[in-house]
Amino acid sequence: MTAVIRTQSLSKWYGNVLGLSDVTLEIEAGITGLLGPNGAGKSTFLKLITGQIKPSIGTVSLFGEPVWNNVRTFARLGFCPEQDAFYEEMTGWEFLTRLLSLQPYSAAEVAARAARALDFVELSKDKDRLIRGYSRGMRQRLKVAQAVAHDPQLIILDEPLNGLDPLGKRKVIRLIKEFKEAGKTVIVSSHVLPEIEALTRSIILLHQGKILAQGDIHYIRDLIDKHPHKISVTCADPRRLASAFLSEPSILNVQFGPAAGTVVFETRDRDAFFGRLPRFVAESGLDVEEITSPDDNLQAVFDYLTGK
Amino acid sequence: MLPNAFRSVFSFFSFVGRKARRTRVFFLVSGLPVLVALVIQASRLFAPGTPVDGPSLFTNVIMAFELQFLILVLALFYGTSIVAEEIEGKTLTYLTTRPADKTSIILGKYAAYGLFLLVMLAASVVLSFIVLNVERLGDPDAWLSMLGGLGVLALGLLAYLAFFTLAGTFLKKSVLFGLFFSFGWENVVQYFPGATQKLTLMHYLKSLLPAAATGTPGKLSFLMMGQQPSPRGTAIATLLVLAAVFLAAACLVFRRKEYIFEE
Repeated sequence: MTAVIRTQSLSKWYGNVLGLSDVTLEIEAGITGLLGPNGAGKSTFLKLITGQIKPSIGTVSLFGEPVWNNVRTFARLGFCPEQDAFYEEMTGWEFLTRLLSLQPYSAAEVAARAARALDFVELSKDKDRLIRGYSRGMRQRLKVAQAVAHDPQLIILDEPLNGLDPLGKRKVIRLIKEFKEAGKTVIVSSHVLPEIEALTRSIILLHQGKILAQGDIHYIRDLIDKHPHKISVTCADPRRLASAFLSEPSILNVQFGPAAGTVVFETRDRDAFFGRLPRFVAESGLDVEEITSPDDNLQAVFDYLTGK
Repeated sequence: MLPNAFRSVFSFFSFVGRKARRTRVFFLVSGLPVLVALVIQASRLFAPGTPVDGPSLFTNVIMAFELQFLILVLALFYGTSIVAEEIEGKTLTYLTTRPADKTSIILGKYAAYGLFLLVMLAASVVLSFIVLNVERLGDPDAWLSMLGGLGVLALGLLAYLAFFTLAGTFLKKSVLFGLFFSFGWENVVQYFPGATQKLTLMHYLKSLLPAAATGTPGKLSFLMMGQQPSPRGTAIATLLVLAAVFLAAACLVFRRKEYIFEE
């Protein structure tokens, strides 16, 4: 396969602050997840590959061409920025048609493409409302619509699931998967591992401006799974739950949490734990209020991987 | 520059400009001279026999206000916003990731905002003129004189707009700089004797006023104080060349500079 994006020793400093350091990679067609905690350099990387900022060192090319000030590459690129920014006085329809008119399309084609994109993100019935009256989810979907309305070959989505409710997330995830099925190259950034897992197996892990790992998500999962996980369960009878799991070989430690009714398990096999827990709850009739996993915080995993 | 991209950007920002709240505000600001003209005319009606006639009031009050204040304010707030509003609103990304080159973005936006400002200016000048010259509306000379003044104001507006467009491309506090430039530098240095006054755009604008051409200040005495006018041709050429240079520099800076949004 031919690489759609190619970077060579790509680095970026903002004054004395390092944004990205020595990133060399190739990204091919399909969905690639860009994963890293806040401040890892994801947005810097996306700004560099969309030609919004210049590399301090190194090169970046899209479709084999340099990207900075190269309008030819922008005709094949759709970018959904992270920031919640719009021309607020416009309606959704005006926003899309006006942006589409910056491409060399006839008026009829602009209208047809805008209608198709709005339909795609399920905003057709709200197209004549002012953007400033849109909900967060609608605004997010409108950003996605402007990124795909001109049918680009490369779609770059910076934190597209940020701030969405579960239903909104499901909708956007479904849209992104449809892009892939249409043969597009899609890059999605997120700081939430399960979001990326729901989209793709191919991921790039960024941390402190550097690529920490790149490849199949199972490889990353394996790395992460060596890290003992903490799982907190709040239930009516924490002692009974603790005693039932204490004998499990994968359980390393059990502690009662500071909140009443909370027990915290430390395990090396998260999947085994989550396989056993529902069975136990069903068999014992235990009333479980909440299950949380503090280790799903990506920063904790990164700290583990980087040996902090 | 790509001609299609220029037209698209011009159309885009003509639309954005029409919908913007700021446009309504500045239409009201540009209506101030009309309000002043109405007040003056009303007072003349209630106190007949006032020695000052309509044309004198138009040149001494309205033209002075338009030249020394209105075109500067309009050009300052629109010119500096050409880049700054895209950065502050974080909407620049939508423009710079489209197949519209950066030169077209600057020039298309400049043309769209320039057209808005010319409409505001023309409405303001023509209406003020009509209000103050009700009794001379059939006099072609009066109209020609007003149109000559409007031409000078339009040229000044476009030159200042180009200058502030340039300032907005590379200065973070371009409005503050613009206020200092407009009401400090331009309003003071134009009265300096000798060649120093030629370091202001206002010097060339005033060189185009009728009083400068005839050498008899008369009704424009306030505006012409200390003025050592340049020849009309030189003044027009200088203003046009400077506007072109400012715009070219703005395009160059915008192409080369990277803009980073504040978090």
